Amino acid sequence: MAQKNPAKNKKAPSLPLARWERVAGGRLLTNDAGCHALLGEKDFARVMAGGITKKDPLFKRLAAAGFVRESMDFEGLAAKWRTLNAHLDQGPGLHILVLTLRCNHKCLYCQSSAAGEGAKKTDMDRRTALASVDFAFTSPNPLITIEFQGGEPLLNWDVLKAAVKRARERAAATGKELKLALVSNFTLMTEEKARFLLQNEVSICTSLDGPADLHNKNRIFAGGNSHAATVRWIKYFQEKHKLQAQQYRVFKPGALLTVSRQSLPRWKEIIGEYARLGLEDIFVRPLAPIGYARGLWDKIGYTPAEFQEFYGRCLDHILALNRRGTVLREKTAAMMLEKIVNATEPGYLDARCPCGAAIGQIAYNYNGDLFTCDEGRMVGWEGDDIFRVGNVFRDNLGKVLASPAARACVVSSNLEAQPECSRCAYKPYCGVCPVYNYEAQGSLWGNMRSNGRCSLFKGVFAAIFERLGNARDKKVLESWVAKK
Amino acid sequence: MKKQADGKEIIFDSAVYSKEAVELAAYVFAGRCEVKVTSGGQAFRARLSGAAAGRLAGEFANEALNQQCRIDLAKKNSKLAGMIVTKALLAACGENAPRKRGGK
Repeated sequence: MAQKNPAKNKKAPSLPLARWERVAGGRLLTNDAGCHALLGEKDFARVMAGGITKKDPLFKRLAAAGFVRESMDFEGLAAKWRTLNAHLDQGPGLHILVLTLRCNHKCLYCQSSAAGEGAKKTDMDRRTALASVDFAFTSPNPLITIEFQGGEPLLNWDVLKAAVKRARERAAATGKELKLALVSNFTLMTEEKARFLLQNEVSICTSLDGPADLHNKNRIFAGGNSHAATVRWIKYFQEKHKLQAQQYRVFKPGALLTVSRQSLPRWKEIIGEYARLGLEDIFVRPLAPIGYARGLWDKIGYTPAEFQEFYGRCLDHILALNRRGTVLREKTAAMMLEKIVNATEPGYLDARCPCGAAIGQIAYNYNGDLFTCDEGRMVGWEGDDIFRVGNVFRDNLGKVLASPAARACVVSSNLEAQPECSRCAYKPYCGVCPVYNYEAQGSLWGNMRSNGRCSLFKGVFAAIFERLGNARDKKVLESWVAKK
Repeated sequence: MKKQADGKEIIFDSAVYSKEAVELAAYVFAGRCEVKVTSGGQAFRARLSGAAAGRLAGEFANEALNQQCRIDLAKKNSKLAGMIVTKALLAACGENAPRKRGGK
């Protein structure tokens, strides 16, 4: 994991700017273009000692990936770097509208800083919602995604409907592509609401933490059985997707998994539940000690090592299911594989350089305040507005991006300026989170040597690369991101 | 690292640490304990006081090292880092990063 000077042996090809990391069974080499090579220890030692010649089969492999200084295709490598970092040319594409802070659930880990169902003055009003949609369309990004979140966004249904209609109008007027997404716990879903969402091509995502007992333990719902409502509506939207409609596209519903401490021993059952319901993606997401969850970390949190173990077990089980014919992708791995295998940017805002804060996404709070991201908004709800970048009525996009918070997040999440990251083999695929750093370590920069998120990401990357080194697993992993 | 009755004093060799690194570390820790930075001779001194000072002293030293590494790295590649930041912010506003003219 360091930059190496050319070998002194002038006859042997030398390594340019390669970073390396130990992974099970050998070493991983990467470069800035996102190319990688997995070498056994003996081959790695030979390469480092300048012991390969042009006739060596390894030479061809390393040269093709841009690891041999004497035979670099600069134009090809630069083109790869550009596609891998396409986000540097786009502007904010994800716009998260927090329609209400109210929620009818009391989830154990609730990171979205929800207020009680009866709370007052925590709903986004129609005027703010429409202004937020208009603001989103001032982004230069040709693809605008508007995600409706909460709290539980269905508690503010009329405003949601108005925002959807306005977004469709703005898309037609500007010629931009529009994606609409709703994140809901489904307990307030009705046939009428579902019909409106389907007709307006709003993609639907819910939370599913595993089998009924685990889900209901995590996601406490005084009004009934949260798991039953979730499953009922997943099946409903799956059925609608299967049938499709003539006038509009119907998307497959998705689900989000939040891993709490009580999820850790139940990896097999959680994956089984997703497979049973025919969900094709499972996003094995760690809990972050941000906002409300930070105060409860001793109860619901876990160490990076515990999550890594959980993640490895999940990934192995998912791969085994795939080999038996079940279609189920692990989403973190799939997004990383887009970068690793295809050298394309999958739109994963948490693992970018710089991170997506303000330049890739904006969170619109119920009152019109704008934040770098939803996590930054959660810190704001705890009473610290450090990640606030403006207000939808008072500021324009230029002002938001020039705000101290936006600039500080961009600068501090630039991996070229992070001592540990700039030398890390996972750098071409990774990203840091200033909000996490601030919450966990007291500064936007953080200290990656002792940073829990860094350790966790390294574990996830190691798990992916280790499996890419195994032909049987590699075949499945590459199929997840195969271009059709 | 010197232990004192009401806190801890950490001495940073000025041949290794810059004043900026020690001050930045002090700023990061400002919400967790009281920090006073002084300089004299060939060293900078950070004096941590408060109930948690003893427990935080090691972490403070690591943070100062982190800041120093960051400052050293910035000397090497601030140009590249600056280009990425400029491109990201200007593109997000809908403007292209200005091309450098007349450079070699």
